[in-house]
Amino acid sequence: MISKSDLKQINENVWEIPRSFRADMRAPARLYAEEGLLEDALQDRSLEQLVNTATLPGIVKYAIAMPDIHQGYGFPIGGVVATKLPDGIISPGGVGYDINCGVRLLASGGTVEEVSPFLEDLATALYHNCPSGVGVHGEIKLKGAELDEVLTEGARWAKRRGYARQEDLDHTEEFGTIPGADPAYVSDRAKQRGHDQIGTLGAGNHFIEVDKVTQIYDSNAAERLGLFPGQVVVQIHCGSRGFGHQVCEDYVARFQKTVRDYGIELPDRELVCAPFESKEGQEYFRGMACSANFAFANRQVLAHNIRRSFEQVLAGKVQKWDLHQVYDIAHNMAKVEEHDVNGKETRVCVHRKGATRAFGPGSPGLSDDLRDLGQPVLIPGSMGTASYVLIGTPGSMEQTFGSTCHGAGRVMSRAKAKKTVRGERLKQELQARGIVIRAGSMSGLAEEAPQAYKDVSQVVEVVARAGIGKKVARLEPMAVIKG
Amino acid sequence: MPPSFQEIEHTADRAFRIQGADLKQLFVNAARAMFAMQGTRARAKPTVTREVSVEGVDRETLLVNWLNELLYLQEVHKETYNRFEVLEISDTHLRARVHGRPGSDREKLIKAVTFHGLEVKKDRGGWHATVVVDV
Repeated sequence: MISKSDLKQINENVWEIPRSFRADMRAPARLYAEEGLLEDALQDRSLEQLVNTATLPGIVKYAIAMPDIHQGYGFPIGGVVATKLPDGIISPGGVGYDINCGVRLLASGGTVEEVSPFLEDLATALYHNCPSGVGVHGEIKLKGAELDEVLTEGARWAKRRGYARQEDLDHTEEFGTIPGADPAYVSDRAKQRGHDQIGTLGAGNHFIEVDKVTQIYDSNAAERLGLFPGQVVVQIHCGSRGFGHQVCEDYVARFQKTVRDYGIELPDRELVCAPFESKEGQEYFRGMACSANFAFANRQVLAHNIRRSFEQVLAGKVQKWDLHQVYDIAHNMAKVEEHDVNGKETRVCVHRKGATRAFGPGSPGLSDDLRDLGQPVLIPGSMGTASYVLIGTPGSMEQTFGSTCHGAGRVMSRAKAKKTVRGERLKQELQARGIVIRAGSMSGLAEEAPQAYKDVSQVVEVVARAGIGKKVARLEPMAVIKG
Repeated sequence: MPPSFQEIEHTADRAFRIQGADLKQLFVNAARAMFAMQGTRARAKPTVTREVSVEGVDRETLLVNWLNELLYLQEVHKETYNRFEVLEISDTHLRARVHGRPGSDREKLIKAVTFHGLEVKKDRGGWHATVVVDV
């Protein structure tokens, strides 16, 4: 286990594990945290996992961990690693199984006072229109050519099919379509798993949450994003479902041999990788892009069904019930980007595993209306607690390859959470606070109890103080829908 | 008889330790553990059977591929398995028959089985492995 004495404090919010800590490190590792969050990170093997990622061939600057870091598999969750192209690697285990797991924020024009009388009906409509839980399938069944269109076009496919508006695409990371996707590099098994999963939420920590805007920190940015105090908004958290899981599985298994072929030695077999420009690296990248597009299409169809639910319940009762898209971000992805490395613009492959892209003002890849503002960043808290809307900053571009945190970060295992918390009791407690719950599994609810997570506000304070994200608004839950 | 698996602490995902007198038993226990962690009812009478054949470059890859194959089958066929027979096994090949029932009779989702820290080891007590799954 790594202890505090192994870390050097760089400034108030940044700690470093020097390259000399372990002989196989190719770069130092940096953790964004204040004292309390550092203590949390020292409780499990997350920093050891961070050090492991610092051994990846081609890594530049640092292996970076966000304040919501916690133990994962391979990469820690909350990890960012950039490798220099063309020689640096891409790692499927570094992206993880839920490729392009991400968050979307939709904002209504309605207020808490207007929507609250219909909240129970709204939660029920959302639960029925957005299938959740284990083994669920959606109304859309995709076959052959149309599934390939989803994989290459992502949210653009959804727009052609009437599930999206142009503004949705404009306000989605990569405009909802990752370039380079090629279904030829996706197995039939992945397609079999994914063909009926578009428009489904799944299980685990995925959710739909109806929130209210409780605080504005940056009134100009909030106004630009269409956010105001007392407003009702909706978050979606989910990813590429069984399709993405299978793509990752296929490549992690295949790369067990690939690393031997390239003579790459690694401290953990989940970190298997291939040079980005190699045949194997490119094939994974094209398959990963298909999964990312699948996830964008999935969240888009869910957004469509959320709008349908709002219309069913609120039309004629709440004047401004319609929802506009604030933004959609990915938090498990490998992307080719240009970043400053030692004063030189350098093409890198940025792995974000449980970390969010947070591009600052003037960055490429932002729509015209956001270019001078910076990219909106969505940080969901644990169930029943606050969430935050941030924007990317020049600091995130300088320090963290345009990245910031992605959530609260777990501190308690699911097994322990289930022993400590009873799902039914938790549901009653949340309901007593006026939060409406629609959940398929009470033990699943217990696993996601707020006690199992760090304090999201503390996490957000660190990224704000470190200058890798700027606070815009705080959200608090009104209704939670999960499998 | 010792329990066929033991769940161990993992902050974000889930992990279990398995053992077996021989490789066949280890692989059967791994499958039992994974389905038990999904909340499958072990005693339900099986009504469907699937033949499974898996390859891997070594024992660890074989174990991961075996478990991921079962996750794939349960998802595409919308079935849940509770009885496992490993018919043939080597370090790189496995042939098995699995039994279960139609329907997604599971409380929990396991997304995938990982290679994180995985080693299939033998000592005087038999075969052992610790498996981390993404949930």
